[in-house]
Amino acid sequence: MRTFLIFLAAAIGTYAIRVSGIVLFGGPRRLPERVERSLRLVGPAALAAIVANSLLLDGGTWRAFGAWHLAALVTIGVALWKRSSGWTMAAGAVAFAALLLAGA
Amino acid sequence: MTSARRAPLGIAPRQWADAWAGLKAIAPLMPGSALFGLAFGALVNVAGIGPLVGNFASVSVVAGASQIAIIESLRTGAPAAIAVLTALVINARFALYSAALAPVFAAFPMRWKLGLAHLTTDQAAVVALQHQDAWPDPVRRRWFVVGGALPFVVVWCIGGAAGIALGPVIPEAWQIGFIVPLMFLAVMVPGLRGAPALTAVGVSTIVVLASHGLPYGLNVLAGAIAGIVVGSLVPDRSAHPGADDGIAHDAGAGE
Repeated sequence: MRTFLIFLAAAIGTYAIRVSGIVLFGGPRRLPERVERSLRLVGPAALAAIVANSLLLDGGTWRAFGAWHLAALVTIGVALWKRSSGWTMAAGAVAFAALLLAGA
Repeated sequence: MTSARRAPLGIAPRQWADAWAGLKAIAPLMPGSALFGLAFGALVNVAGIGPLVGNFASVSVVAGASQIAIIESLRTGAPAAIAVLTALVINARFALYSAALAPVFAAFPMRWKLGLAHLTTDQAAVVALQHQDAWPDPVRRRWFVVGGALPFVVVWCIGGAAGIALGPVIPEAWQIGFIVPLMFLAVMVPGLRGAPALTAVGVSTIVVLASHGLPYGLNVLAGAIAGIVVGSLVPDRSAHPGADDGIAHDAGAGE
């Protein structure tokens, strides 16, 4: 029940965010430049936070060096090279599977 | 009116065709959405969340990164308010899409605006923004937009349901949790450009690691906010301030 209510609150809040601009900026009004600049950084900042927390930490303590780190390096390398999410996902998954099989 | 009644679901052939065009525009991104949904569903199982609540999350929140963040918060025993706040900070980027889409949706009836808002994903927003000029007629445009948004969300929900159903049979040795950093690296890194975004990523990472002693996964929230604040102090030298949000939109970024 508690989990349901948490998702419900997140759903209502997220909908409010999604509908805000469509309703408020229906006319010629624009977002202030500074607000727009900050919002543009939400994606990179939030995603980097999740990556750092899930990759380098494990339940609040440092993750022991191994397959996760090595596969992530491959993932980042392919991402910078191909600049494509599809290629990045595929390469990272293959690298991780190979490292697990190799016992890393 | 009678001709409309003979059409499937009361939708005229012309409108089906326009929606189909929208679906074709977003189709290349749909495998990523299904895969990400699958990963979310598998994590629902790992966290011991029931299938009903897990599927409810997919349908109601429709934002994968925030849903996974909530699950991670729950696993660290965070208070409900912190779990919700973390999710909303991650989803603040939708305010940007919403403002950008306002002129695109301006001529739509209000009930369409309210409905399409719920279907706004990173990918659907980009499709609508990129194709708006090809659809000057507001009626045809709204059918194109719904075709380029709704199927993507449906695929996301089906992927989630499949992951929830299959989750219990995925062996622990596969370490399915790696999908979290993998997915977000795949969404973030390919589109990463410019000093402000790079600063945001660097500061966010350092703060998350430096504050890893904080309870309830608060280090994620602290890192995200620090990244946004410090990144926005860095001057942006790029000459094209378009709709670039630092997220890759080419493939696989299911939300």
